[in-house]
Amino acid sequence: MQRVTKHFFILLNILLLFSIASPLQAQSYKDLKFKPLEFKPPPVDRVELANGMILFLAEDHELPIVNISAKIRTGGIYEPADKVGLAELTGIVMRTGGTQSRTPEEINEELEFMASTIETSIEDESGSAGLFTLKKNLDKSLEIFADILMHPAFDKDKVELAKAKALEAIRRRNDSPQGIAQREFQKLIYGKTHPLARTTEVETINNISRDDMVDFHKKYFHPNTILLGITGDFNKAEMIEKIEKVFAGWEKVNVDYPEVPPVDTQVKSTIALFDKDINQANIIIGHLGTKITNPDYPALRILDEILGGGGFTSRLYKKVRNDEGLAYGIYSNFEAGLRDYGTFEVVLQTKTESTREAVDAVIDQIKRLTQTEVSDEELQVAKDQYMNSFVFRFDTRSKIVQRKMLYEYYGLPADFLEKFRDKVLNVTKADVLRVAQQYLHPDNLVIMVVGDRSKIEKDLASLGPVTILSKS
Amino acid sequence: MKRYRYSLLAVIFILFIYYPAQAQKLEGRVIEHKLKNGIQVLMLERHEAPVVSFHVLFDVGASDESVGITGIAHMLEHLAFKGTKTIGTTNYEKEKPLLEKLDKIVIQLREERARGEKADPAKIQQLEKEFAETQAEANKYVVTDEFSKILQVNGGVGLNATTSQDSTRYFVSLPANKVELWALLESDRIANLVPREFYSEQDVVLEERRLRTDSSPIGKLFEQFQALAFNAHPYHNPTIGWESDMRNYTREKVEAFYKKYYVPANATIAIVGDINPQEVIELMEKYFGAIPPAPKPPKVVTVEPPQVGEKRIQVELDANPHILIGYHKPDINHPDEAVFDVITSILSEGRTSRFYKNLVEKRIATNVDSFTGFPGDKYPNLFSILATPLTPHTNKEVEEGIYAELEKLKTESVSAEELQKVINNVEASFISSLASNSGLASQLAFFQAITGDWRNLEKHIDRIKAVTPEDIKRVAKQYFIKTNRTVAEIVKREKPQG
Repeated sequence: MQRVTKHFFILLNILLLFSIASPLQAQSYKDLKFKPLEFKPPPVDRVELANGMILFLAEDHELPIVNISAKIRTGGIYEPADKVGLAELTGIVMRTGGTQSRTPEEINEELEFMASTIETSIEDESGSAGLFTLKKNLDKSLEIFADILMHPAFDKDKVELAKAKALEAIRRRNDSPQGIAQREFQKLIYGKTHPLARTTEVETINNISRDDMVDFHKKYFHPNTILLGITGDFNKAEMIEKIEKVFAGWEKVNVDYPEVPPVDTQVKSTIALFDKDINQANIIIGHLGTKITNPDYPALRILDEILGGGGFTSRLYKKVRNDEGLAYGIYSNFEAGLRDYGTFEVVLQTKTESTREAVDAVIDQIKRLTQTEVSDEELQVAKDQYMNSFVFRFDTRSKIVQRKMLYEYYGLPADFLEKFRDKVLNVTKADVLRVAQQYLHPDNLVIMVVGDRSKIEKDLASLGPVTILSKS
Repeated sequence: MKRYRYSLLAVIFILFIYYPAQAQKLEGRVIEHKLKNGIQVLMLERHEAPVVSFHVLFDVGASDESVGITGIAHMLEHLAFKGTKTIGTTNYEKEKPLLEKLDKIVIQLREERARGEKADPAKIQQLEKEFAETQAEANKYVVTDEFSKILQVNGGVGLNATTSQDSTRYFVSLPANKVELWALLESDRIANLVPREFYSEQDVVLEERRLRTDSSPIGKLFEQFQALAFNAHPYHNPTIGWESDMRNYTREKVEAFYKKYYVPANATIAIVGDINPQEVIELMEKYFGAIPPAPKPPKVVTVEPPQVGEKRIQVELDANPHILIGYHKPDINHPDEAVFDVITSILSEGRTSRFYKNLVEKRIATNVDSFTGFPGDKYPNLFSILATPLTPHTNKEVEEGIYAELEKLKTESVSAEELQKVINNVEASFISSLASNSGLASQLAFFQAITGDWRNLEKHIDRIKAVTPEDIKRVAKQYFIKTNRTVAEIVKREKPQG
């Protein structure tokens, strides 16, 4: 009875049927016929508690485990510019620094003996807290989980440990070429002081005190700033009761969020080189992306699949990797930001000597999309790939719950994905060309290269003035 | 009569009451089927969603290579995505002679270049021109990435492959209605692989080497570490290959390697997800059953001789310090494996582990990890510790701190509570691993091929439960000794040379 069987699935989408068919000899994949895929994703319940906390619940009784993940309305974008790193450190020390009634050691011992895991973190645009526990240890683990969210103690020693590690990370951040390329590319796109691109510095870490962390937590962590996704082996009604009990007495508080400067949409063109003594150039080429709410995003999504987001079937993979052998990994991502603009980037690595050749090949592919319509086959392949893998967006309850939470967090409609899928299906070749011309800027690109300056600089110079970024 | 009733009751009992409990065990759920040609098939039904994960493991890896062709198992893995006699080509009959012609030109070109200063530039130029023309001609018949494209267009996700010292694995997840498509494509690849686009792919793997090893400080550290730790055993060589070998691959050598090792007796296939096992068996017989049998290739006979003294290397790089310490230990099937797993857990798993409490929380290191099974599991390998010092502390201080913990294992008994914690965590992570089709398929194939029985995946928990404090002391005393040790560290080179 608890087992979900195929008999309960209904037809999700007839379009999951494979569409390319042409006559050929027997034993060809083209001769195969596939049954339609029948599937009804399991339901998710959304429940709002009296204290404003919103729960998303999906029971799953296959295994005796429970997973809880919280999404909290906070983020590094809200920290002051002279204390970059405050949000991240607060997220770390919430977990490591004990609570008002439990020492850090007690929490670690108790959780690890039960094989339960609790982790917390704060990213740019949100905070997260996760709990994994065996069903038999749910009550005890949930109590600690709530305690950490409500009453973190920010133990002084653990504050110092987190700060020391943050300083060490700064010291080491130029060891990895890919890390440098990503960091500097973001700064060139958003501007180096923008909250989406700024980085921790020795000074900003030193500016952060334990009191700052206490205040940051106090300001942003309230029941009404928390979305809680719960999957696993539990009974819904009992779970709601448990949640209400462990968070009892925690009151709703209205939060004033500091204003985040909007992304500057002015198109910028830069060629930048970070000198590193290695035999390979790490390259990122791109510009600003778009927002998820842009009505042209479905067409941009198809455009990106065809350019370099579609893995083995993409143009960049074929031209730059397979035909020319110029790269091992190459991809594009036309990112739609959920809150503000994302970035459009093409990422690759190539041997020092072929840096210019690879850069030219990428620019050429971007340019082509703005000049000529894609082929019928390319459009069909991109759509089939999207549609036929659609079921994998629903193949675990935790994926379904996570997505519901994400839409709620960013104020998107609950059926956003289904609507988006329908729009993707209706994209035409003319749409792809139109959005390519509107949103791709092959003449105004940011080109970020990490590599051997002595060999690369002159090759890049004929593209335009090259800015040399020093090691910070 | 009575017997029937009993069975019927038992069935109801299992289906409706004990199903959740059954889901936590593999024994009784995994279906084994061996094809006549030797392919071992393992299946597991999970009907949570209409998706299936496939995992094909060939019992061949970098340790089966010899000097001169290092990295060729990995090169072959790349070429396995280039298609077959019917996939990836518009006309194999016309393509074939062109591919052979290309090989001949390349051999002449390499010979001429190898003459160094005595090489004839005109001849090289002529050969390069011929090469480019022939390649362009051959490429006219190529349907780039058709194999991968078919899978992706049909909804395949997670399509990829990996090569290790021990094995080569190909995997993908598909909607549940595409099992036959997978069977057709994968069986064709085992039987009829054609390594086309060979020379551009050679550039791709060289690029992969630059990415993973040459420009990655940790990658370089590991390469030097394993080369130093192993004198005789092929675990000495990096999986990606030494650069000069990688520049000298020929299609002939790759094909010989493929013919020898990609035989049915060397293949294990695990399929996990929304399947009907009987239907899958029929498809496996139909598509894979026809592949002709061949003898299982021999294992490596070379045994690493006992180490006679500590080995050390300082790798000078434009990067901050790291330290990597290894002790030789037996292979995964040795009874001491479970003891090493317990030691790993006690030393470095979680915030209550000894390294975390005594090195990380004391701000001597930012990370200290320990692990078994490097560079592989099949043959005797290394128990390893990787640590990152926290400024102003040095590699040396971290190293001393690590040794202090290893010494404690030799002299002080681990408490019952510490052991119980390890068991609890091993059990919990086993249960949570059962929630992933692709993870399970990977584990089943690995344990079947490398340990000889997928049941070892579950039995391993019992072996861990049986580990005693005395076992830990004995193993620590036996293996954690200076003469059995290799130490590699990254030392910061301030100014680039040259």
